[in-house]
Amino acid sequence: MFARINWRNFDWLLLLVVLILSGIGVAVIYSATRNSPDLVDYWQRQINFIAFGLIALFVVAMLDYRQLSIVAVPSFLLFLAALVVVYLFGEAQGGSKSWISIGGTLVQPTEAGKFLIIIFLAWYLSWFRDSMHKLPYLLMALVLLLAPLALVYIQPDFGMTITYAFMGGVLILAAGVRYRHLALLGAGALAAIPIFASTLQGYMLARICIFLPTDEEGHVIAPILSILRTAFDRLPSECIQPEANTAASYNVEQALIAVGNGGLTGMGWTQGTQNQLLFLRVRHTDFIFSVIAEEFGMIGAALILLLLLFVVWRILRIAESAPDQFGKLLTTGIAALIFFQIVINVGMNLKIMPVTGLTLPFISYGGSSLVSMLFAIGLAESVAMRHRKIEFF
Amino acid sequence: MFEERTGRDTATLTMVVFRLGIVIVFVVMVARMFELQVIQNERYETLANRNRLLRMETPAPRGIIYDRNGTILVRNRPSFEVALVPEDLPFDDLDTEDIDEEAVEIEKVLRILRADSDPDVALRMAAILFNKLGYDDFIRTVQRVNVPISFLSEPAFVTPVMEDGRLTMAEPRKVYLPDLDQPLPLEGLVALVKRTVAIQSMGSASDPVPILDGVDRTRAFEISEDSFRIPAVRVTQVPVREYIYGDLLSHVLGFMGPIPAFAAENYRAAGYTNPNEKVGLNGLEYTYQRELRGEPGVRYSERNILGVDVRTVGPVIEPVPGLNLHLNIDRRLQTVMRDALQEMMDEVDAPWGVTVAMNPQNGAVLGMVSLPSYDNNIFAERIGEDYLKLEQDERRPLINYAIGGLYPPGSVFKMVTSAAGLAEGVITPQTVVVDSGPIYLPNRYFPDDRSQAQEFVSWNHKYGIVHGRMNVVSALALSNDIFFYYLGGGYLDQFQGLGHQLLSKWTELFGFGETTGIDLPGEVTSLVPTDQWKRQLFAEPWTTGDSYNMSIGQGYVLSTPMQVLVETAAIANGGTLYVPKVVHHMTDANGGVQKDFEPEIKRELPISKEDMEYIRRGMWEVVNSDYGTGRVARVPGVEVAGKTGTAEFCEYIPEERDCRRDEKGFLPFHAWFSAFAPYDNPEIAIVTFVYDGGEGSAVAAPVTQKILEAYFTEISPRPQSTAAQP
Repeated sequence: MFARINWRNFDWLLLLVVLILSGIGVAVIYSATRNSPDLVDYWQRQINFIAFGLIALFVVAMLDYRQLSIVAVPSFLLFLAALVVVYLFGEAQGGSKSWISIGGTLVQPTEAGKFLIIIFLAWYLSWFRDSMHKLPYLLMALVLLLAPLALVYIQPDFGMTITYAFMGGVLILAAGVRYRHLALLGAGALAAIPIFASTLQGYMLARICIFLPTDEEGHVIAPILSILRTAFDRLPSECIQPEANTAASYNVEQALIAVGNGGLTGMGWTQGTQNQLLFLRVRHTDFIFSVIAEEFGMIGAALILLLLLFVVWRILRIAESAPDQFGKLLTTGIAALIFFQIVINVGMNLKIMPVTGLTLPFISYGGSSLVSMLFAIGLAESVAMRHRKIEFF
Repeated sequence: MFEERTGRDTATLTMVVFRLGIVIVFVVMVARMFELQVIQNERYETLANRNRLLRMETPAPRGIIYDRNGTILVRNRPSFEVALVPEDLPFDDLDTEDIDEEAVEIEKVLRILRADSDPDVALRMAAILFNKLGYDDFIRTVQRVNVPISFLSEPAFVTPVMEDGRLTMAEPRKVYLPDLDQPLPLEGLVALVKRTVAIQSMGSASDPVPILDGVDRTRAFEISEDSFRIPAVRVTQVPVREYIYGDLLSHVLGFMGPIPAFAAENYRAAGYTNPNEKVGLNGLEYTYQRELRGEPGVRYSERNILGVDVRTVGPVIEPVPGLNLHLNIDRRLQTVMRDALQEMMDEVDAPWGVTVAMNPQNGAVLGMVSLPSYDNNIFAERIGEDYLKLEQDERRPLINYAIGGLYPPGSVFKMVTSAAGLAEGVITPQTVVVDSGPIYLPNRYFPDDRSQAQEFVSWNHKYGIVHGRMNVVSALALSNDIFFYYLGGGYLDQFQGLGHQLLSKWTELFGFGETTGIDLPGEVTSLVPTDQWKRQLFAEPWTTGDSYNMSIGQGYVLSTPMQVLVETAAIANGGTLYVPKVVHHMTDANGGVQKDFEPEIKRELPISKEDMEYIRRGMWEVVNSDYGTGRVARVPGVEVAGKTGTAEFCEYIPEERDCRRDEKGFLPFHAWFSAFAPYDNPEIAIVTFVYDGGEGSAVAAPVTQKILEAYFTEISPRPQSTAAQP
């Protein structure tokens, strides 16, 4: 299986951009944690994570991604089982019961689950490729997606749920859905809204409500409020007067101040006051983009955003020249995952998306986040190296 | 892709839409960044600065006050305050369950401060912490550590205060206050300090929490040395006003205290950022608060989210010291005045007394004594129980009666009547009135019934004396009342008097209906009584009898001693009313004159110099003629002119439904004496007033004499002594 490796097809540019982004991540993490005694060595740890991640990247790239179709079904079932176990015996951290203790260390199955879902759906959609124009197969795909979705939703992990939904949706669409089936599904989804609304957790609603337009006194404007009142039995206070609950909106507010404070050119590395004086919370993970925006300004932030989106673009390019449907869907899923996390995280920093706790790929601090992202790049590279056509750039 | 399955499903379109999505996301995000970072940049920069920058004020040294000879009357004495910085205290380490590290450290500090051995320290500390924590928290905190509190036996009312210090609208509660005169045991104090520190660190852990003030220099050094190893202790110098002569000048100088709640809004509007800043509350400290305060220095301190000071940002503005005041008051004269008055008040057992001196040529106030007085140093560090004691004192020593007391002026008012008569042509200097005993005004309804007529006497009648023929000069000298009854109200159809309109007009001209405008707070005035005033108040018309009373300074006329002094000075200088000035000029810290107070003329009286000379002459005869009532006021070597006043007053006793009277049925008297000297070229005018003192000639005149004698021998000696006068 190693015989067919073609390093000339390895996307070195993609790797270079990913490395640049990871390097920027280290610098920003340094800036964000240097004033917190507990966190001062995080930038060094992040370097270690990069090293681990790179090893994973190359190992995965050398493996033939097609071997993954063998493990797709068993690993998916294992993942579902893990989610059930978490639901029954899991430990709660930060409001959601999504952790399980294995030999004393806490493991969050949903993080790896992102890839398992991509692999499994890519396998299913390519295996039954010729039958996908039949509705039962399509519905089966949806059911298979909804199973983990529902289990994560009840944890409750809002961010992961919408991530799964987005990835799954993109995969199914990319595999090809007939337009009349699509219309049918759209109608079904509309019909399911009340069920969704009735199970929506209060805190999730609260996070969304922070974005609702308000009048001068800070109350949510009347027409929207009346719609909310008919849809939900109990409204969290954020849905009536979003700013009143300072605890909920504090982090977002401070992030917004940091971004605005940065201006066009930024305050300079390690010079952002919102960041350095600790007004910005969870600076090294969720709100790391605010640090970038404050210290490097709009120009720096836009450039970094451009690099991030370039990675997505590049993976999509790999998908389009993949040798088979499985490889195409695999890379599309990875692109969708990275894209989604970028949109949600940056959007949350700019207060155009709700707060979900999704990290910024390659930049946010965190071993599992970074290593899994590099792992994903490795998968994409594995597909790239097994190009259907030789040389085309 | 591999087959011909395009166009009928979403596969190809998805990839196109995905790419399009990437572009759209980039455009939207950058647009949003442009909005936040370029368009709204200023707004967010302000918010970020509001997060981190704290305006810190360094108070400017307050201006010093000197008397006219450069003697320091008020200065700033360093006092020391001990405070704890919350962030430098150790945390309670939860691993050592039975030891509270924070409490141990606080206890160490308190022992160094001698809170365990010195009851004064313990009491002071308890008072400070009580003010910080408030009633409920104080009691709860002490009781939680099982320390008994002794309560006062008398209940008091407390107005509940909200957590941010604002007053609630709730009704005051009746509670038993803890007796702060009983020193608390150490555990109680430790608990209180710990609680106070905890509350403070919710705001900013870098701001020191004062726990003890009023520490003197020696103790402050000892404490600094002993607490060398305790990082949380801060010993800071706080300037405290020191009034060197204590109660001698407290009514003039006033005192300071924290901004009172009712004025908080005004002070904040004037740029006072610290609601606990001490400001002048009385006297010159109040009037010249703005000048004395100077400009506080400003710097911006950068703080992180924990409130920890990181650094100073931007330019540091140094404080501009307050201006120094140089008074017209002569400290030596003030002492003489106070001593002379106090001596006489002790002699006649009078509750209140005032003596004020002024230069009649420019309105400069040379001395001002109001007794009883108080020592304003007791407010220097804190306004507390002492203040309450003074407030509750029946004699109200906090009031400056020279400008804050209204009394019937009695005969010292007769110059006003005289001036009105001469200026309005009602009398000439030669007009003669005969005193042949009491005069009678017929009853309005029974004009023929002699027994119902109203009797008007002159003071001399009760001694069986009639004064006979008098002109205005001798009438003033004798202080005969009959002359002024005629002059003020006329007599039947034999004599045309001034009438109430002209009397009121001249009373107003002499400044009795308005405040004198002296640069001290708390000045009062009464209205000049008129016909209209009386109709409104009593629903009765003005009568000739009212004019009679008014023309001798009785009845409805009321004035402050200061108003009488302005009147006297106007007679002395020939008809000019000056605005009294306590402050002569102000200098800045380098000694440069910042503001010079020009004499301020309030009014020139419409009376000729010649006419005025007759009134001056009358006052000269009061002292210098053989029959004058104020002969006791003569000073060797100087020609003194004066006027006695003995003003009846009514002290209403509800049980008897009458005024207080002596056994013969006479009303009590206030003693007045107004004087100026030297006669030819007056440089000092004095008014002395003794409440319930009796005869002006016997009580007020001797006090004035003593003051004048001291003035012309010690303070402003005559160039060549003409003491050879027989």
